[in-house]
Amino acid sequence: MRRLLAERLVLATGLIVILMSALFAYLRVST
Amino acid sequence: MWAMRISEAEFHPSESRLEGHPSMLPYVARRAVWLTAYLVLVLAPVLALLLGDVPPARGFWTEFSSAIAYAGLMMMGLQFGLTARFRYVTEPWGEDVIYHFHRLLSLVALGLVIAHPIILFAIDPARLRLLNFFQAPPVARWAALSTYSLIALVAMSLWRVRLRIRYEIWHSTHILLAVVAIIAGMIHMIGWGFYLVDLRKRALWIGLSIFWICLLLYVRIVKPLFILRRPYAVTEVRKELGDSWTLVMQPHRHSGFRFTPGQFGWLTIWGGPFQITGHPFSFSSSAEVADGRVEMTIRNLGDLTSKIHEVPIGRRVYIDGPYGAFTIGNPADMHVLIAGGVGITPMMSMIRTLADRGDKRPVVLIYGSGDWESITFREELKALEKRLDLEVVHVLLSPPAGWEGEKGFIDAEVMMRHLPPPYRDHEYFICGPNPMMDAIEKALGEMHVPLAKYHSERYSFV
Repeated sequence: MRRLLAERLVLATGLIVILMSALFAYLRVST
Repeated sequence: MWAMRISEAEFHPSESRLEGHPSMLPYVARRAVWLTAYLVLVLAPVLALLLGDVPPARGFWTEFSSAIAYAGLMMMGLQFGLTARFRYVTEPWGEDVIYHFHRLLSLVALGLVIAHPIILFAIDPARLRLLNFFQAPPVARWAALSTYSLIALVAMSLWRVRLRIRYEIWHSTHILLAVVAIIAGMIHMIGWGFYLVDLRKRALWIGLSIFWICLLLYVRIVKPLFILRRPYAVTEVRKELGDSWTLVMQPHRHSGFRFTPGQFGWLTIWGGPFQITGHPFSFSSSAEVADGRVEMTIRNLGDLTSKIHEVPIGRRVYIDGPYGAFTIGNPADMHVLIAGGVGITPMMSMIRTLADRGDKRPVVLIYGSGDWESITFREELKALEKRLDLEVVHVLLSPPAGWEGEKGFIDAEVMMRHLPPPYRDHEYFICGPNPMMDAIEKALGEMHVPLAKYHSERYSFV
């Protein structure tokens, strides 16, 4: 179960990083 | 080999309280702080690239591929911080969660780093010629070197046992590949020059890379220097039941450290603290011993553990610790300690500490062993039952003739026979081999014990 916690954290971290990278790209091309 | 040992030496931290540290923020708050800090550290340097003078924008996917590559490099660098054994970082999570996080994050970082060229190749297939290492320009070669190093690093970690790579060799190579991946990645980024033409941004990213390398130097050189000044001397090597030996270690010309029962330390017996690896063992002694003496009880599971009985009296050893988020829980709750084999060691530290403190909280120890003669600490536990509100339930795989106690494996039925309902009100601490841990977690689920009420920490790091 504690491993599940780590897995959820990694999943959330990966998603946030990808979304922020997309935001980075969006900001670049839209300004 | 070593992974076998550490997977057996598991213990169970309570996550909400830490005795002796009343001023500490609750673990939940500290977890939130560290998680936020991690995301800020990954993303802030990437978003900082948007500040000041920026070069003309390229297409969305090109910019996206650049962003994930920068983020991937930052995540790789932060891996040094995750494994630097900073107690304040690891305590709210437990060492096992941090290491599992570290392993999984390396997969994410690798995915980001590999996705970077794949996106660029998809946008412009002519770039595929950059894959020719010998004909590609140097800036592309550095990228390839970084990516290949990262792939090798992850592959060696995932399949170390299958590839039969010795732990020490793997660890040295792991560090080397990580440093190469980061330095080569940084050279590629600076060489490409697009965002890092700006001197301030270049300084920021080079500074961060230096910081990561300094973290490594701290862990491998500075910290061992401190440990070197605080050696321990082996004063007794005691035979225990269950093919186990207890090392009794006394601080040599210093006062030692205080630990909470259930914590562990990285022990270096042969060689000095600069050696690439110590090995993690739980303390089995009471946390109330006044003279700084600590004991570790180690079962012979092959490898280093088979030579414990050969350690000479007076041997100078080094302990990096204490680590782990273990603590005895709420005094008002019944404590259910579930141990399998050598998983008894952190439980023993807990029980001995309760005895030294005269703490009469109710404790039930459900202790699984192979047979009657392999029950480590059997006689001492019997004596402690008279001094504490302690009930020891032995569960034997191979019981002797006429045995009327529990047989087989610890399961929900065994627990329900010896615990008073409602089961969800007790605190459960589990320590044993991985299959046992999985079975107990399932059994507690059947007993409707909420997750927050049971605590475990696994030590299968690699």
